[in-house]
Amino acid sequence: MGGVISRRNLLGGAAGLGAAVAGSRISKRSTAFAAPNVIQDTGSRVKVLYWGSYSDVLGEAEQALVKMFNESQDEVEVEYQFQGTYEETAQKLTAALQAKQAPDVSVLSDVWWFKFYLNNTLAPLTDLLAANNIDTSDYVDSLYNEGVRNGISYWLPFARSTPLFYYNKEMFAEVGLEAAPETWEELVAVAPELVQKDGDTITRAAFAHPNSASYVAWLFQPVVWQYGGAYSDADFNIMINQEKAVEAGNFYRSSVVDGWATTPADPETDFANGLTASLMASTGSLRGITTNVGDRFGIGTGFLPKVENFGCCTGGAGLAILAGSPAEKQEAAFKYIAFATSPEGTEFWSQNTGYMPVRKSAVESETMQQFFTENPNFKTAVDQLPLTQPQDAARVFIPNGDQIIGKGLERIMVNQEEVQPVFDEVAATLTEEAQPVLEALAALQG
Amino acid sequence: MDSQGSKPALPLQLLSYALMALVVVIVGLPLLWMALGSLKTNQEIYTLPVQWLPSAPRWDNYIDAWNAAPFGRFYLNSIIITVAGAGLELINASLTAYAFAFLRFPGKNWLFLLLLAALMIPEQVTILPNYLTLADVFGQSWINTYQGIVLPGASTAFGAFLLRQSFLSLPREVLDAARVDGCGHLRLLWDIVLPLARPVLATMALISIVAKWNDYLWPLIVTNTQLMRPLTVGLTYLFDQEGNTRWGPVMAASVFVIAPLLVIFAWAQRHIIEGIAAGATKG
Repeated sequence: MGGVISRRNLLGGAAGLGAAVAGSRISKRSTAFAAPNVIQDTGSRVKVLYWGSYSDVLGEAEQALVKMFNESQDEVEVEYQFQGTYEETAQKLTAALQAKQAPDVSVLSDVWWFKFYLNNTLAPLTDLLAANNIDTSDYVDSLYNEGVRNGISYWLPFARSTPLFYYNKEMFAEVGLEAAPETWEELVAVAPELVQKDGDTITRAAFAHPNSASYVAWLFQPVVWQYGGAYSDADFNIMINQEKAVEAGNFYRSSVVDGWATTPADPETDFANGLTASLMASTGSLRGITTNVGDRFGIGTGFLPKVENFGCCTGGAGLAILAGSPAEKQEAAFKYIAFATSPEGTEFWSQNTGYMPVRKSAVESETMQQFFTENPNFKTAVDQLPLTQPQDAARVFIPNGDQIIGKGLERIMVNQEEVQPVFDEVAATLTEEAQPVLEALAALQG
Repeated sequence: MDSQGSKPALPLQLLSYALMALVVVIVGLPLLWMALGSLKTNQEIYTLPVQWLPSAPRWDNYIDAWNAAPFGRFYLNSIIITVAGAGLELINASLTAYAFAFLRFPGKNWLFLLLLAALMIPEQVTILPNYLTLADVFGQSWINTYQGIVLPGASTAFGAFLLRQSFLSLPREVLDAARVDGCGHLRLLWDIVLPLARPVLATMALISIVAKWNDYLWPLIVTNTQLMRPLTVGLTYLFDQEGNTRWGPVMAASVFVIAPLLVIFAWAQRHIIEGIAAGATKG
């Protein structure tokens, strides 16, 4: 990554802003460390339109990143436009593509980018990566590989997160646990001691599951892997109703039936209020959970517990270039993506937002190490990152796959229906929904 | 008038008060929660069991919210969109309703059926066609412009229908007398029909203003830049993609988003009630 901005300036600023992950807002100093404005002639700069989904604290970090990029060179000028949630951004982009009003580069979430790839609207990035001398092996493998189809990259990791195990340190200490459990068995063993009841009502659970609206299918995916199963293979063969996945389903069901886990509307609020001793949640929630818990109790984090294997999936959003943009704009847009996902860019972004650093070399830098000392829970998340895997096609590539699986999980946990018949139904629906995707894929590949 | 003198039996009266109290709670509680929330810290909002009153009112939430995004500009945009949108709706609906109520022309019944059919089309269905149309208006893009936000919603089948029904119930003699005196259509509409239909007009204006002020989906889709967005879309600038939303400022911003509507409602309801009362005593 070239550019006028010096690494020292950038990192100095990033370190100063590090506390943002703990909940504070980006200081107005973000303008102070950027290189001075050296651009005289803005008329000759290539203008790049960038659509994103970040507002409030995340939006300020995004604006700061764009500003740093614009001031670091004088060839490209990026304009960032906030378009609502990931869903709203994707829907707007769909309409804008039809009306030929699309931007040059857009944020697309893990469950959305593939739809645009299928419609042939994303530009291949492999040549641009090579032309800009970017060593793709420096991207965290699981994050990079998720955006690759047939050896060509279409979607580069930017605002990525993974599931993480959170626990209430005081409650765990009561039952003699000083760290996160290494296996689910360990948690199940102490679960009865963690649970508190008032009659039949659970007033304190050992663990809490979210509902389908809060992406339970995202968090259940690694548990299926831990049992040795999968939602599907890469070729869209649905496997959620096979033995291993059903075992995982039975484990989830038993957690509720045996009375140690609950399914509240908002598990993170329950956790902050001491209504549950532990939960799985996104690494992106660390900042919010830390703020909301305050000094009420100590928050511990750990890798996801194991069963037969360790398993943890990726999540979040990446950046893609729209194929309809002229070549000159695509090249300019890529310069921004290269900047935002460079080791320096990802350090700034992750320290200010709580998203995972997407470059391997970023983790080793001095400022990142210092940041870890100040935010040990963030370090747990980053340590777990190399062990993660890209998600199963059934959740991220089949339209609505996340919700189809999520509703099935609600049936086994909330209605306490038998797992096998429910997962058979889910598998049938997924297979049906996969058909148009397979046809589109066949058409795309000739 | 005699019904006003005799009071209903006590149990019935108590029941009606209980029901009224229930309605007040159902309508008022969320508003109260919002107003109280606007003065709390995130931790106080996230506390269970519920903590109703902030331990120390946090007025900074209002300042934080106002500074988080250009809310002054959002206000201006909301006012422009609402005044233009509701104004055009009123004019359109009045003219349409007048035609359907008082004019005789071929195909009137079929056209009226068409209007009723338009009543059944959900707004969401029209979003994409509207967007595609606006992307190329005589070679120009109206995306991200005021006319782009306002024009697709400038006519209202519901308003036209509502006004037509009320126009039909106006006393014919008054209209005939005006016509005999040489009143033209526009004069008749302006000087006779609209003043007589004032309560319905006020009702429709209120519905229209509230709808335009609160509209979210269309302005979000048709605008791209901060400068063109109204308050409703502006509120999303306070939300966090990862769910780490600071609810205090969100509640504070919600308070200043709905405050103008509350004022307008307080003012307009006088006209509506006056109108209903006037109608009730006439017969």
